[in-house]
Amino acid sequence: MKPFDYKFQTFEPIKSFRSAPREEIYVPGHRTCAGCGPALNYRLVAKAAGRDTIFVGPTGCMYVANSSYLCTPYAVAWIHAQITNGGAVASGIEAAYKVMAREGKYDGPFPNIIVMAGDGGSVDIGLQAMSALMYRGHKVLFICYDNESYANTGIQTSPTTPYGAATTFTPPGKAIPEGKTLFPKDPPQLVIGGHPAVKYVSTTSIAYPLDLMNKVRKALSYPGPTFMHMFTPCPKGWQFDESLTVEIGKLAVDTGMWTLYEWEDGAYRYQHLPKKYKPVGEYMKLQGRFAHLKEEHIAKMQAFVDQKIAHVKATAIPVEAVPPMAVKKKKK
Amino acid sequence: MPQERNLTGCSAAAQAAKLAEVEVICSYPIRPYTAIMMELAKMVANGELKAEFVHGEGEHAQLSVVLGASAAGARAYTGSAGVGVTYAFELYSPIAGGRYPVQMAIADRTLDPPGDFGSEHTDAMSFRDQGWLMGWACSPQEVFDNTLMGFRIGEDPRVMLPQAICQDGYFLSHIPDKVIVADPAQVKEFLPPYKAPHSLSPTCPVSHGPQIRPDQGAPMDAQRAATFLEVPKVIEEATADFNRIFGRNYDPFLEKYRLEDAEIAFFIQGAHANTCRKAVDAMRKSGVKAGMARLRWLRPWPTHEIAVALAHVKAVGSIETSTSYGGAMRGGNLIHELRASLYDLEERPVVTSFMAGLGGETIWPEDFHFMAKVLTKMAKDKRADQYVRWLGFEAD
Repeated sequence: MKPFDYKFQTFEPIKSFRSAPREEIYVPGHRTCAGCGPALNYRLVAKAAGRDTIFVGPTGCMYVANSSYLCTPYAVAWIHAQITNGGAVASGIEAAYKVMAREGKYDGPFPNIIVMAGDGGSVDIGLQAMSALMYRGHKVLFICYDNESYANTGIQTSPTTPYGAATTFTPPGKAIPEGKTLFPKDPPQLVIGGHPAVKYVSTTSIAYPLDLMNKVRKALSYPGPTFMHMFTPCPKGWQFDESLTVEIGKLAVDTGMWTLYEWEDGAYRYQHLPKKYKPVGEYMKLQGRFAHLKEEHIAKMQAFVDQKIAHVKATAIPVEAVPPMAVKKKKK
Repeated sequence: MPQERNLTGCSAAAQAAKLAEVEVICSYPIRPYTAIMMELAKMVANGELKAEFVHGEGEHAQLSVVLGASAAGARAYTGSAGVGVTYAFELYSPIAGGRYPVQMAIADRTLDPPGDFGSEHTDAMSFRDQGWLMGWACSPQEVFDNTLMGFRIGEDPRVMLPQAICQDGYFLSHIPDKVIVADPAQVKEFLPPYKAPHSLSPTCPVSHGPQIRPDQGAPMDAQRAATFLEVPKVIEEATADFNRIFGRNYDPFLEKYRLEDAEIAFFIQGAHANTCRKAVDAMRKSGVKAGMARLRWLRPWPTHEIAVALAHVKAVGSIETSTSYGGAMRGGNLIHELRASLYDLEERPVVTSFMAGLGGETIWPEDFHFMAKVLTKMAKDKRADQYVRWLGFEAD
């Protein structure tokens, strides 16, 4: 059978932050908190994806705080999904577009279909639908915007909440002094580890916006399923000053709490790896959610991060020398 | 040319879905509905049906996939049975409230525990209040016909609601019967292509399903309720068109069998009606004026039609193939709405119910004769001595 031309879109990389598309797709008028990492993230993702896009929004902050009746901030088509089923709703939309394109009911460019799911909607209650989408090979970008908790419901622990974090379901107390005792799931590795249809997975942070937008554009240029794990600090849930969102993002990378990388069909590439890692305490001390921790807990966290760093170093993969755009100086 | 074939209920559903040119299909296996998907998978593999066939990872996903497909503008089809129907529960309200006219074929099966493959309507009845159109067939032919009528009614711009097209597991899903498979030209005349009014599209930046304020909830509920007031009219039109184009003779809401002069009547839903009809014939021969009213649509519930059809009857027995533990009348589900429908009549029949056909049990002709005896006595006494009788548990 002759392959059908679905008119999949492809995207050129954005050369510099200043040459990023001017058009805003995620527009003002929403009710997110000041300093909201996920909202900033949404704006960058939407900007990178452009007009021919359909967003699927499983329940979470980026549903509840964004979509008050008649004033959603999405300038493109958007549909709410349950927190459980972002992957499945997106699969249905993609299947519909495939059949409608083949039958001549739709002849435009194949829309970017992007699931904007929180950590719960990606790797907890939404894991089954996400994994099935990745397995079946739908042309969908599934984004896990990770604010490391069920934030919208009042900061409850999720599988990506870090060890030692206080949440309303892991309050520190006499019997359980650390608060959260478990170490988090690793979403990109879950996808990479068991989904042969997936050829592109990457991690990003709002502190590195050019890197973020270009990874989105690369993911959207693949003809199959792609997955992105996006670091989106939450001032309310992590208890830091709302002016520090970007700073927290940078510190996460500088301490090794978060690693920026791309995985393309088996090959890893890292971005913005620090030459010398800062101690995790520097990242943790800015956040109220870790304020109750004792030395030994911080040491336990450091040991966990050291293991991750050792793994990154062991792979001995060249690091791309792109400076973080937020600090890029104008050329004289 | 229409073709007469020997088909099970599952095959009949698949043939009708093919003729309806469904565009996105989402499957997950569970007995006894699975064969519908097996047949559709073959059609897609052979290139007879140009649909996208998505292997859902469960029933919850099946309904999610068809929700997305319908929102994007495709005619979408899925199905399930038993605990699969209940596993999908979260999605029934979002699909109906989002006005996505997907179709779900259900071949009824009991719920656990314990595991039982038998037919019982409790699975589908469990979501009867979620805003779906819902109706039962009593033959593979009617499964075929209801599949087409479901799409026509559900996709009508005045309706835009999902449809549960139900058939009894095994009794219909697995026993072949003669089915006239329609000609594609007839189907084209009856069923226009699906047009989603505000589909998700790059050219239509629309938001589906944003949050609302509490004060915006009631108006939306009222709108959905108002839609259901319009549905009967659409069902009547569609049934009339269907009867004309396909040469059938359906009553839109109720099959009325020998009811005109009946003194006792069975109120029933689904395939056990076939045995019931034969039993009524036998009763008539022995001088018992029995009749049958068979419900074709549970949602919308035909309140007025039921009242009119049963007003002159002295005693009615509701045959319950589903359970409602702890409910009014201590039996199944149908009797609640049946009694409510008759309440405003100046002279109303006495009503009781019979728990029968649970767990997949056959309701035998002698069961109907037993029920007729109870109803005849009730008619004479002008009162029901019991709300409910469990067939097979009665010392008679």
